[in-house]
Amino acid sequence: MEPSDEALCQRVAERDEAAFDLLVARYQERAYRIAWSVLRDGEEARDVSQEAFIRLYQAAGGFGGRARFSTWFYRILVNLCLDHRRKHAWWKRVLGGGRPDEPDGREAVIERQPAEPVDPLAGLGREQVMTQLWAAVATLSPQQRAVVTLHVQDELPTREIAGVLSCSEATVRVHLHRALISLRATLGKA
Amino acid sequence: MALTHPETELIPYAKGELAAAEHERVAGHLATCAACRESLAAFGGILESLARTAPEPPAVPWGRYRTELREKLEARRHRAWTAWWRRPVPLALSASLAAALVFIAVRGGQQPATVDVASVEQAVLGARLDLLRQYGIVENLDLLENLDVIHNLDGLETSRKG
Repeated sequence: MEPSDEALCQRVAERDEAAFDLLVARYQERAYRIAWSVLRDGEEARDVSQEAFIRLYQAAGGFGGRARFSTWFYRILVNLCLDHRRKHAWWKRVLGGGRPDEPDGREAVIERQPAEPVDPLAGLGREQVMTQLWAAVATLSPQQRAVVTLHVQDELPTREIAGVLSCSEATVRVHLHRALISLRATLGKA
Repeated sequence: MALTHPETELIPYAKGELAAAEHERVAGHLATCAACRESLAAFGGILESLARTAPEPPAVPWGRYRTELREKLEARRHRAWTAWWRRPVPLALSASLAAALVFIAVRGGQQPATVDVASVEQAVLGARLDLLRQYGIVENLDLLENLDVIHNLDGLETSRKG
């Protein structure tokens, strides 16, 4: 029987390297994807998600088991992502724009769109709408984007998202509602 | 009854996350509010579309990712071990603490003041060792003094008779 995440975290606290490797293997893809959804940069997402694992290793003893391990770990990760964005926002403003691969925060998202699943009812118009919709997601605030990502891609309930973002459930609901209002407006213009 | 749209509760309602009483309240509102029904349908459609078409981040070679992570972790451990000595404030505090401990040790190791006086006395006596060697003379000082007194007494007696 596979050990639970919580049991592995306990073993990491006792400096069990194998347990740490197992947790990394379980969460590396999810951690990287969440970091990327907030940061929209592959290199930064890689660095920040690795940093989250290092923090996990260092702070495993502080995991009290009151929340699920995933909530606790995502909190570390999302906080690192938001801190990273805050620190780099000033430099981006000074340098007058985003990174070369992401000049306005939209193009890169459009380029990274996967091929649409084959849908006989979907035409070119629908594909364009989805491209615009994801471009609009990229322009949401980091908190709103984190809520949308955790809701849509990780299917976390509101209560867990609140735990990850260290805020109330009501705040998560407001973030999600505002994000949806914004995205709906984008669809209205499309 | 005031019309309050439960806008932020629509998605939690659809996901079945609301408490029973809250769920009932939203359901009752939706039964009578076309605008909220329309919003719920639109929001649900957006979330469902996003879930189906979520963009994938750039691919990552996971073996290399874990190797990098291991290297970073090792570097962090090493830095944590050595960083303490590089920081000026802890170093200054350590130096101050060490100096304080040395001072306390030196002060604490000293003998009480009475012992010091005894040592000084011994040293003085040592310096007067020659005098002590002539102790016989010293011992006879009283006798010499007495002879003076006797001599003086003789003088006094002579003057009284005279």
